[in-house]
Order: sequence, then structure tokens, then C-alpha cells
Amino acid sequence: MTNFFLQALAEVGTPSVLGLIVIGVLFGIVGGSIPGFTVTMAILVVFPFTFAMDPVSGVSLMVGVFVGGYSGGIVSGVMLGIPGTPSSITTVYDGYPMAQKGEPGRALGIGVASSFLGTLISVAVLVFFGPLIASFSMNFRPWEITALIVFALTLVAGLSSGALLKGLMAAALGLLITTVGYDRNSNLRFDFGLPAMGSGFEILPVMIGIFAFSQLLGNIEKLKDEKSEAKKIDTNVTIPYGQILKDMTGQKLNTLRSSLIGSLVGALPGTGGTVANFLSYDQAKKFSRHPEEFGTGTPSGIVASEASNSAVAGGAFVPTLALGIPGDLPMAIMMGVLILHGITPGPMMFEQNPVLVGAIYASLLIGAVVMVLCNLLLVRWFAKISLIPQQILVPVVLMLCAIGAYALNNNLFDIWVLFIFGIIGYLLWKAEVPLTPLILGVVLGDNLERQLFRALELNESWMTFLTRPLSALFLALAVASILFSLYQDRKIQRLKNAALRENI
Amino acid sequence: MLTLTKDRALALALLLIVAVMWVESGSIAPPTSWQPYGSALFPRILLVVIGVFSLLILVRSLLTKAPERAGAKQLIGEWFQSRRTILALFLLFGLYAALLPVVGYIAATIGFLVASLALLMGINTRRKWMINLTLSFTLAIVIFVVFRYGLNVWLP
Repeated sequence: MTNFFLQALAEVGTPSVLGLIVIGVLFGIVGGSIPGFTVTMAILVVFPFTFAMDPVSGVSLMVGVFVGGYSGGIVSGVMLGIPGTPSSITTVYDGYPMAQKGEPGRALGIGVASSFLGTLISVAVLVFFGPLIASFSMNFRPWEITALIVFALTLVAGLSSGALLKGLMAAALGLLITTVGYDRNSNLRFDFGLPAMGSGFEILPVMIGIFAFSQLLGNIEKLKDEKSEAKKIDTNVTIPYGQILKDMTGQKLNTLRSSLIGSLVGALPGTGGTVANFLSYDQAKKFSRHPEEFGTGTPSGIVASEASNSAVAGGAFVPTLALGIPGDLPMAIMMGVLILHGITPGPMMFEQNPVLVGAIYASLLIGAVVMVLCNLLLVRWFAKISLIPQQILVPVVLMLCAIGAYALNNNLFDIWVLFIFGIIGYLLWKAEVPLTPLILGVVLGDNLERQLFRALELNESWMTFLTRPLSALFLALAVASILFSLYQDRKIQRLKNAALRENI
Repeated sequence: MLTLTKDRALALALLLIVAVMWVESGSIAPPTSWQPYGSALFPRILLVVIGVFSLLILVRSLLTKAPERAGAKQLIGEWFQSRRTILALFLLFGLYAALLPVVGYIAATIGFLVASLALLMGINTRRKWMINLTLSFTLAIVIFVVFRYGLNVWLP
């Protein structure tokens, strides 16, 4: 273990890779701090630049964006009172009041410090649990993997936005998209007579199209609804280091708890930074001796929010690397990037590519350090950049998406794929279909089909899925997750109806 | 008469897609003794799943009453009015994709950026034009340089 980690450190420690991590972190922070841009979008914009790189450089750059992105919400949250990403909504609850009371530097410093500690603790969780889960899942045969993928999809479909039917439908639709083109037996499927469709759709243009268009055009629509006037903000911030040190020493338990919650939530499929920061904020409030201070600018609130959402980064890598099943949208895209570089995430990765796994650990750690330095030194600039209006941002990002899709294979067909799936994604989003299960389906489709038929070739009875204990357990969990979200949906519906009746 | 709600439109569109793809799945090579399950089985399972869920969405949307809305004609007019920017942006992007191979990366990108920035920012002041043009030209060229010389990716 230490051996490959040192080797990985040596590879990541070269000036060019370090430079890439710095660029990644900077871009991530910028992306995270612009409201309506999100970590996912930052990753999507950066990935075309990794095509020509070797895997270690590419992955380091992406990890940098990841680490920076989850911390970037602090800046706009504290300075503008607008969460830069959904995963820093609760940061605003206490960060903004503290800044309003004349201590923006303190709020930022606490946020950055807890972000840093959250990342470190989550890397420890990843280093410990990643190989453990991977070696356990080495025993998984096709039946178990099939059942696990089905479970991951139903879980994400149920959790994504309380629209179970549409979520499950979206997951199936995502899987269906991967069946276009030549299959594992070199039979042509759904080409509709177009030769270009023969090779199927590349995952990345499909993902970018579905996600980026709906998100960006949604931002434009929101812009019309709420004509917000530009706030005058004071970007002149000094960081009171002594005060922050004192604040943080009083928050040891809170930091640890919030980071562990973040790592755990990150590792669960279907959840992510947004769930993590709400859950951990709520827990911190429950455990606090002064719960009434939450929401008025208490350091505990900022620590709970920022430690947890940054810890998601490390936690989310656990299922992606150990099982080959990404838990949320940014990870699904990260997995797409790894596949693009010829690496199949999964238990074998720890044996076949230990250096790359080590490189991910190392870049997470280095990224965390770079993130602290960048945030503390450049906070004024980030605050200014986060004011870039959507009107300028949207065309630029759309253009970058187009170039990214093209650069993948130097193929114009991919831009059309991007465009068509952009329209599909926008329409589905308008019809309130959750898009995360769909994108997860696109990422997992090939593997699901391969594993399913390998299982059936080994034993032609479908009952084997139920007679093998682990696969039966995963399928039972899948059914349970559906039943649970059905129950949740009903409850929400009842509450809605009750509210409606009261209004009448 | 039934009004077309979001859910109903979604379900009907999906059912149409399922039907088309089911017919198309007939032309996939049939199973052989080597491949007893064939290549059509997996997509067909998915088509059935999507079909069933679409039907459920349709049934559910028929059970709940559609909100009362104004006449259809006015509705379409309003819809176009409010979505004009989005539609225009989609059109511009389509045009961009079509023009890329014809006029080359630099010209197409500058064209797309100038047009879409003008669409979103407006063109009522000189300052907006200045920002628009400076940004479009520098960005198009910077990206070109980064890709061609930094990353060795040739753009059209």
C-alpha cells in the first residue's frame, strides 16, 4: 500500500501535474462560486482538456476541480448570500449573517478551514474503506453485480426528487440509450439506417447534452422570472487568522461528525453534497448546546455545512472506485472520464491500477492544500468573478461544450449527439423528469447488459438471481427502496393535499 | 375535451418512442445457438419497462384533474412568447453545429458567441457591444490556441 502510494506521489508531484491540480482547483472554486454553475458543470467544462493527457494528469486535473468546486460555494454564500452550488445552501444560513455583522473574513476562514478538514477526513475514509469494499466485492459474480446495479438505479430513481415513476422511467431510458449501435455480439441495433449511429452514442456528449442544456437554459428562464439587481458588495476582506484558529479549536467534535456524515452520504448512491449539508447542519443543531444561535451567524453552522459538503468528495469515490458504481452526478461524469482514459473503475482497479488509485488519493490531498491557499489568497477575485452574469456565462459554456464534444473523437457527429440530447434533456426537464437516474443509466448500461447475459450464459435460469444470497439481498433492497420512496411520495402528497384544503 | 398536460404529453411521446423502437428492434439479428438470448432481448426488456411506466404516468395524469387553462391558440402564442429566447438559443446552437465544418472553427465560434451574447445581453448600449465583441474574439482565439498548441487537438 505505502509502496504504490509513494510511487503515485512521485507521479503526481511533478511540476506539470501539480500545475494541473492548481488550475483544476482554481477552476473548481470559480465554478462553485458562480451561482447556477455547480460542480458538475465545472467538471463537464474541464474534461475535454484531459483528452490528450495521460490518465494520471487527467485524473489529477479533474480531482482538483472536484475539491475546489465543493469549497467554492463558500465565497458566494458568504459574500452574496446566494449559495453558489446547491451543496452550500446551509452555508448561507450562518455565513451570510456573520458577514453582515461585519465579519466576512471570519466566516470565509472558518468555511475554508472546515472544507479542508472535511476533505482530509474523507480521504482517510476513502483510503481505509475503498480497498476493503473492493476486496469484498472481488467475490461478486455477474449475478451480484447485476443486482447491485439494479439496486443503485432504483435508489437513485427514488431519491432524486420524489418523482418515483418518472425516476425509474428515466433510469430505463438511460439504459436504453446505451443499446444503440453494435452490441457485444457485433449485432447492429437501432441504427435506423444511419451509418453514424452504428458505433452508438459516446457517453460524454450524451451526458453533457442532457445535463448542461437543461441546467443552462433553466438558468436563463429563471433570470426572466426574477430580475435581480446586481448587489453592491464589498470585496475587501481580511482574514483574522487568530480568531479562526480559536473558532476551530472549539469545533473538533462538530468537524469530525460533519465530515463523517459527509463521507457517508457521499458514499451512498443517489445522495450528494446537497443532502450532506442539510443532514449535517441539522445534526449539529441537535447536538449543540445553543441551537437557538443557528441561523444567526454561529461558527458551528458554517463548520457543519462546509466540512460535510467537502467530505462528500472523498466519500463519493468509494463506490465509484471500489464497485464501479457512481453515487451521484459529478461521480457519474468522473467515471465517464476514467472510462475514456481506458480505465474501468471497479474492484479490479485496485489490483491493476494501484498507482492511479494512489494518484487520486494524492491529488485529493494536494488539492485540499491548494484549495486553502487559493481561497485565502484570492478570495477577493473569486467574489468578483462570482458576479459574472448568466447572459455571458451561458453562451460561453455552450460553446465549450460543443468543442468538448467535438474534441473527443474529432468527430462532428458528436456535436449533433450533444445537440439532440440537449433538446431531449431540456424537454424531459420541462416535464419534471429527474435527470440524474437517466445519466446514471447511461453510464451503467453497458456493464449491466454485459453482466446480466454473462450470468445467464453461466446459468440459464433467471431464478439464480434469487437463490444466490447476496444478489437476492441486493434485489430485495432494490424493491425496498422503491417501496420506501412510494411511501415517501404518498406522505408528501398527503401533506400537499392537507395544505391545499387549508387554503380553501 | 382532454387538455394536454405535461405528464400526458410526456407519456404519449414516450409511448410513441417505445412503439417505434419496438418495431425497429425486429430488425436486430435473431438469437442463434451461440447467442441463445439474442441482442434484442435487453432493449426489449427496457422498452417494456419504459412502456409500463409511461402508461402508469398517463393513467395517473388522467385520474387527477387538469388545471383549467385558456384557449389553445392563445396558449401556444404565449408559450412562444415566453420561450422565444430559449428557442432562439437552440436554433443558434444548431446553426453553429451545421456551420462548423463549412466555415471552420474560428469563424463559426465567433459568429455563435456574438449572436448568442447579443441575444441574451441585448444590444442597446455601446458598452454591451464592446463586451460582446471583445469576449467573443479573445475567447474563440484563446480556446483555439489552447487546443491546437497546448493539447494537440485539431479543430475544424
